[in-house]
Amino acid sequence: MSLISMEFLIFVFAALAVYYLIPGRYQWIWLLGVSYVYYASSGLVYLIFIGYTTLVTYGAALLVSQGEGQAGEVKSMSAKGRRRALVLALLLVFGLLAVLKYTNFAIGNLNLLLHTEFRFQNFLLPLGISFYTFQSAGYIMDVYWKRCEPERNLFRFALFVSFFPQILQGPIGRYSRLARQFYEPHRFDSARIEKGALRILWGFFKKLVVAETAAVFVAAAFDEYQSYPGIALFGVLAYTAQLYGDFSGGMDVVIGVSVLFGIELDENFKRPFFAVSITDFWHRWHITLGTWMKDYLFYPLSLSRAMGRFKRFCKKVFGRTYGRVMPICVSNLVVFFAVGIWHGPAWKFIVYGLYNGLIIAFSGLMAKNYQKLKSVCHVNDRSKGWKIFQIIRTFVLVNISWFFDRADTIPQALAMMKNAVTCFSLGELLEVHVGTAGTTYTVLALLILAVGCGVVFAVSFVQEKGISIQNALAARPWMFKWAVYLLLLFSIPMLGQPPDSTGGFIYAQF
Amino acid sequence: MDKLMEILEEIVPDADFENCKSLIDDEILDSFAILSIVGEIEEEFGVRLTPAEIIPDNFNSAEALWKMIQRLRKSES
Repeated sequence: MSLISMEFLIFVFAALAVYYLIPGRYQWIWLLGVSYVYYASSGLVYLIFIGYTTLVTYGAALLVSQGEGQAGEVKSMSAKGRRRALVLALLLVFGLLAVLKYTNFAIGNLNLLLHTEFRFQNFLLPLGISFYTFQSAGYIMDVYWKRCEPERNLFRFALFVSFFPQILQGPIGRYSRLARQFYEPHRFDSARIEKGALRILWGFFKKLVVAETAAVFVAAAFDEYQSYPGIALFGVLAYTAQLYGDFSGGMDVVIGVSVLFGIELDENFKRPFFAVSITDFWHRWHITLGTWMKDYLFYPLSLSRAMGRFKRFCKKVFGRTYGRVMPICVSNLVVFFAVGIWHGPAWKFIVYGLYNGLIIAFSGLMAKNYQKLKSVCHVNDRSKGWKIFQIIRTFVLVNISWFFDRADTIPQALAMMKNAVTCFSLGELLEVHVGTAGTTYTVLALLILAVGCGVVFAVSFVQEKGISIQNALAARPWMFKWAVYLLLLFSIPMLGQPPDSTGGFIYAQF
Repeated sequence: MDKLMEILEEIVPDADFENCKSLIDDEILDSFAILSIVGEIEEEFGVRLTPAEIIPDNFNSAEALWKMIQRLRKSES
């Protein structure tokens, strides 16, 4: 059941009606039931996988939380035992993900490398498995590090893993932020419903007007890149619009639906195209994956004993300053390798991740030199001009990475990059067929894409200035506010692609 | 505390460590800076930090960092 389908809206409406009719203490039970029904609607067999992850993480959290130092508490498990339980649990949950998602990638590489002929496997890949696996694994580590108490009620914990709006594409939540919200009673609040509904509408606009219109041109530029070499540059820019509209639009729907139920999920986007560096970009794009990687992989790896030994070695060889930063750069590369492979089992995603990791590592290593260079060149790094330069530079670097993300193979990405700087023929855009059988509205589609991007940019610009659009609208006369709501509502069917013609959400495949 | 201030100012020269109480919340310290600080603290004060210690409460101000160092020294002695 796609987030942008009529079925989903009816499902949410029905779930919401019952949610606010029943006593508050039963609301979480209803949410759990609704979440399982929603997930089962994608395939009953998927319940086995989510059930497995839920049971393993629930049991492991109880184990790793035992004993250890609490005043007056009986020590029932040694530190070593707790660590072993943690490692085993992580192996079990990530093992399932690895087997289902990466077996064929490993087989393909083995066959290529060793000239073997291992057969590819037809494994099911349960929807949203990357998201709920990461969320559950984060929970076990939080309990292990005593950042949160373990949940002792299996069914309450099951809701944390399966909450239906976020299960397919995140955001990857933290138990400490969500638990209280899930289990406390929520009363009907019309202002909250209005806030959630507006957020959902905005998500629909981004997805159906911007992302889906851009998708047609992206498909031509990338899938038929040999026929349309002159629009490689336009194609990658359109892919920026598509990916942002698709993923952040999906997040708006997810967050908006959650708000209807009184649950505030973490934000996953913070105007990423205003980022001044690649590091800043990852603080603004898919934020919950970035913070997950930072808290559960980057810090533990950097603080490991092995990395400590490496740091001492680096300090001896490269001196104090570089020796201090070098191990952090290595950990950073490992993290971005993980970010890359998280996106999918293909080398192009690994290159995509490492490309980002290398830029960040290089910036970290060169930070002091950049400072010196700026001072020599008398660059005022607080000036508006410098900030605009940084934003454009980051945008260009990000767009280069998209070639790896969207192209089917690395050679295709490289060929398209070359076309982007050597071959311009925007006339090819008019040859792209947009429309159903017998109709073509390519020029109109380009116009709609430009208007859609303009609206999204204007909203982002205002938000970047620290202004909340919702508060600004609330302060205006009700007629103005409702005129904006209706304009947004009607623009979606008038300008957007019909939901049943779309291919779902890009990140739901992860 | 003086030694800690010296470390902090060397790693992030532009920050106001005397007064700022939201080094993490205001994104003044990024993850590279945090780990550089951790490395120097471990070396200078002979304590060992685990990932469990890397939370905003411990890094939001120089004072919070100092309290964490004192606590770790106490528990490790």
